Amino acid sequence: MKNFTYFRPTTPEQAVALLENRWGNTELLAGGTDLHDLQKEYVAQPARVVSLSGVNALAGIRVEEKSVRIGAGAKLADIANHAELKRLFPSLTDAADQIGGPQIRNMGTLGGNLCQRNRCWYFRDEHTNCLLKTGQRCFALDGENKYHAIFSQGHRCVIVNPSTLAPALIALGASAVVQGPNGRRTIELGRFFRAPGANNEREHVLEANDMVVEVTIPRSNLANASYEVRHKQAYDWPLVQAAVSFERGDGGVRNPRVVLGHVAPTPHVAEAAARSITGQAVSEATAGAAGRAAAQDAKPLSQNGYKVKLVEVAVKRALIIAAGQKRYWEV
Amino acid sequence: MAQVFQVIGTRPIRHDGLDKVTGRAQYGADIQLSGMLHGRVLRSSHAHARIKSIDASAALKVPGVEAVATAADLPESGDRIAHLGEGAVNLRHLSSNCLARGKVHYKGQAVAALAATNPHIAEEALALIKVDYEPLPPVMDVREAMKDSAPKLHADVFTEEMGQLKKDKPSNVAKHFQFKLGDVHKGFAQAAVTVEREFHTATVHQGYIEPHNATAMFNPDGNVTIWCSTQGAFTVRAQVSELLQIPVSRIKVVPLEIGGGFGGKIRVYLEPVAAVLSKKTGKPVKILMDRAAVFEGTGPTPGSYIRVKLGADKTGKLVAGEAYLAYEAGAFPGSPIGPGAMCIFACYDIPNVLIDGFDVCVNKPATAAYRAPGATNAAFASETVVDEICRQLKIDPLEFRLKNGAKEGTRRADGPIYPRIGMIETVEAAKKHPHYVAPLAPGSSPFPRGRGVASGFWFNIGLKSSVTASVNNDGTVSLVEGSTDIGGTRVSVAMQLAEALGIRAEDVRPVVADTDSVGYTDVTGGSRVTYATGWAAYEAAQDIKWQMLEKAAQLWKTDLDNVVYDKGVIRAKDDPAKKITFKELAEKIQHKGGIVVGRATVDPPWPGGAFATHIVDVEVDPDTGKVSILRYTAVQDCGKAIHPSYVEGQIQGGAVQGIGWALNEEYAYNAKGEMTNASFLDYRMPTSLDLPMIDAVIVEVPDPKHPYGVRGVGEVPIVPPPAAIANAIYAAVGVRMNELPMSPGRVVKALAAKK
Repeated sequence: MKNFTYFRPTTPEQAVALLENRWGNTELLAGGTDLHDLQKEYVAQPARVVSLSGVNALAGIRVEEKSVRIGAGAKLADIANHAELKRLFPSLTDAADQIGGPQIRNMGTLGGNLCQRNRCWYFRDEHTNCLLKTGQRCFALDGENKYHAIFSQGHRCVIVNPSTLAPALIALGASAVVQGPNGRRTIELGRFFRAPGANNEREHVLEANDMVVEVTIPRSNLANASYEVRHKQAYDWPLVQAAVSFERGDGGVRNPRVVLGHVAPTPHVAEAAARSITGQAVSEATAGAAGRAAAQDAKPLSQNGYKVKLVEVAVKRALIIAAGQKRYWEV
Repeated sequence: MAQVFQVIGTRPIRHDGLDKVTGRAQYGADIQLSGMLHGRVLRSSHAHARIKSIDASAALKVPGVEAVATAADLPESGDRIAHLGEGAVNLRHLSSNCLARGKVHYKGQAVAALAATNPHIAEEALALIKVDYEPLPPVMDVREAMKDSAPKLHADVFTEEMGQLKKDKPSNVAKHFQFKLGDVHKGFAQAAVTVEREFHTATVHQGYIEPHNATAMFNPDGNVTIWCSTQGAFTVRAQVSELLQIPVSRIKVVPLEIGGGFGGKIRVYLEPVAAVLSKKTGKPVKILMDRAAVFEGTGPTPGSYIRVKLGADKTGKLVAGEAYLAYEAGAFPGSPIGPGAMCIFACYDIPNVLIDGFDVCVNKPATAAYRAPGATNAAFASETVVDEICRQLKIDPLEFRLKNGAKEGTRRADGPIYPRIGMIETVEAAKKHPHYVAPLAPGSSPFPRGRGVASGFWFNIGLKSSVTASVNNDGTVSLVEGSTDIGGTRVSVAMQLAEALGIRAEDVRPVVADTDSVGYTDVTGGSRVTYATGWAAYEAAQDIKWQMLEKAAQLWKTDLDNVVYDKGVIRAKDDPAKKITFKELAEKIQHKGGIVVGRATVDPPWPGGAFATHIVDVEVDPDTGKVSILRYTAVQDCGKAIHPSYVEGQIQGGAVQGIGWALNEEYAYNAKGEMTNASFLDYRMPTSLDLPMIDAVIVEVPDPKHPYGVRGVGEVPIVPPPAAIANAIYAAVGVRMNELPMSPGRVVKALAAKK
């Protein structure tokens, strides 16, 4: 790890004032579960680290009349175990509960989960100078890409966004409150992420001197669920994730949102799947059809064709869970 | 006649237990010496390259940096072959594996090292060492490497073809040999069913929790002390002696507690480097590896390509077997191809066998031993083909094994005739086990479930062990041994001494000593410690017994033949009133009669070998390809289980590692030959949440040569799992998985191909 100067501000405004308008030289430190790994691997080499451990205003989960507000510093474990959140937004709490292991969930934060760097093994290799560092190309495009994007048309970098909270939050219509040098602004999470495609770009749209202070979720009675297809039960990322939400109506599903994780450089909104299930009663048949619709436009790379099938399964199962129906894959 | 035991077969608390659960046990990373420097190793960023130059001048200018070491600091070893506890080693290769000389042969190979006053300075300065490489094309796959057109790793490695060195042109194939029995052509001609299949297995790592470490202190008088985590202090001594050209008597190796080894902590990596840096600086130097260095810079077990052909007559009797095994040695010759070829058909009595083995260099880390080295790859192939034959002939797979299983008198293809062994007994126990009798274990889903079985063999070894045992005046015995305790062997060795003396296990105080404080002892490996070091403890107990009898005879002023030793009590034959306990006599001789110290060294014959038969129920999610293990039973012949808890622990641990190998683990390489998943996160070893409780079933067919019938238990449980799981997957969904790991992506692909 490269040596760095350590700052410990006590307000979001102070924290942002310590940031720079370029990436890389100064990094924000929340739970440290991602940044310290990157530093130890020399992938991140900040000269200055701004710790958020003294910024008390970032903690806290508040369930209000119109919305739920979760501080960017809220621990993943606190989100996973929050009784009211579990009742309202099981898609979010289930996703939080499956991240890493207990130690990771006790340290990792909501803001960190949204802004964490991707897991591409070329990006994570100190010696590989890929497009997201200062290099000219994405090595996964025609290299080892079995965990990479299957919805990557035209993207110059084929990472998958690593956040599992993001698909759930996007499906719930959540927004991020962002503190910048000139004050606060709100960004819908559906517009928060982007596919990085050039040197030093990040996986989101924030400027280098912005920070997330809070996420707000509109209160609603949306049916919602997240389903992850995983290889391991702990200390692993999903191979594919689907988060869904919809209104329950007499005429079947209304206003559904289907958001996929780990299939594209950003959380991937599967509009065809949403259209497919709209107005339908959720059943194995209709959910299966929505799953197939979700996978329809996938363009897998050389080694990740298997993920297309997993998209179908994840969407199907997420819809079944959200509808409160019998989980056909369990006895 | 079964022996009746007082201590053996009970479950006393292990002597090192308290220190371990309270965090007081001393591991290599805990070492702190005054004036100690911290070393770091610079590793190759290329899979294959010529080193044109190394310039450390900038690093040496960093304040706090005290020395840099490269291969130039190691004596030229020449092409000498040495036997260093892990089979024969070419010293030039071993030396180049510690610090690369001229070329690097894998990404992660050590190229240079430096020592500084703190680890941060060391790490920063390391980045200033400039290595000028001329990159060469790497070859990563065993069959690619065997082609004439493949890039050659070494200009001086030639094929040893059936014992003859073919010196005409360099080759990546370091060795080709055959084991032959009978006539396979005639054998296959008698077969009613013949099945031939190909298999691929990935490179996997032992995955011990504790990374390698070494601290060395080189004194001006030429004596060097090394503290490290090793499976064998004496093999570290021998290797350092050869690599640095120092007499063994000048080297003291202090083995610290070991956080797992599984075969991977026999070869030296850091020890000679720390010693060189200490010699250069005159200060103690400590070097620790991080996890990436462990994955990339130490020895995993080989990836392999295996072809197996088996034939059986219509009654289900095996008539012929043919196998072709090509194992990746990694950067230097020396894969476990020999044991792989030995084990592939070792569970069966097959009259006609032809086995071809190939040891092949590729640009991956030099492979090291891993729990029954080479046998798991082989069994995955052979036990899958056996399963196919059973299905074609509609024979129950355990019946098939009863019919064909190896027994006393069976000749193995590599020559030996089995003494008393327990293959058949494990199959009988598996057949009777409630797991095998019961219907498939209920799953958590309505998805297809299936049951598979597989057997495995590992030969186990004897080798040399020494102990001394001093009788204390409080009636206890201090037992000094040279065997690193990995799986609870302090207690299993102490129990054999206690049994022989008729005292409690708790009254033996075992200690694992450094190389100056105990007689020569070979490595903790080959499932040998409870067998051989336990045997030495038994012999030391006999030595103590005779001395105690002499003391009692002197005390009672009677003849030696008039005193007997019986379960910790010494009696006079002619006078029932004359008796004294071990403890009483121990106290007495402190004042009069003289001290009793027992000692023994043994080099016992090799044990009869260990056999295991595993049963597994799996559930396969046909949508996701995810395989879940519902129930797992591992039956094993242990000879005699000295401490059943640790025997069960070995069986469970081995089975779990085999399951990880089967379903999860692999070295992923990119086109440049770089490992892309050198972290526990990306390597995907299973956790407790991914596994059921493993039911360990101990079968006891005592080894008739050993005083207590011990056979050794540590290795064979890793052998059957991949094949057992592959067979269970077939039973569940009808696809034959012929490539490890059987990860969700591969299973989905296989299912799609079936449709």
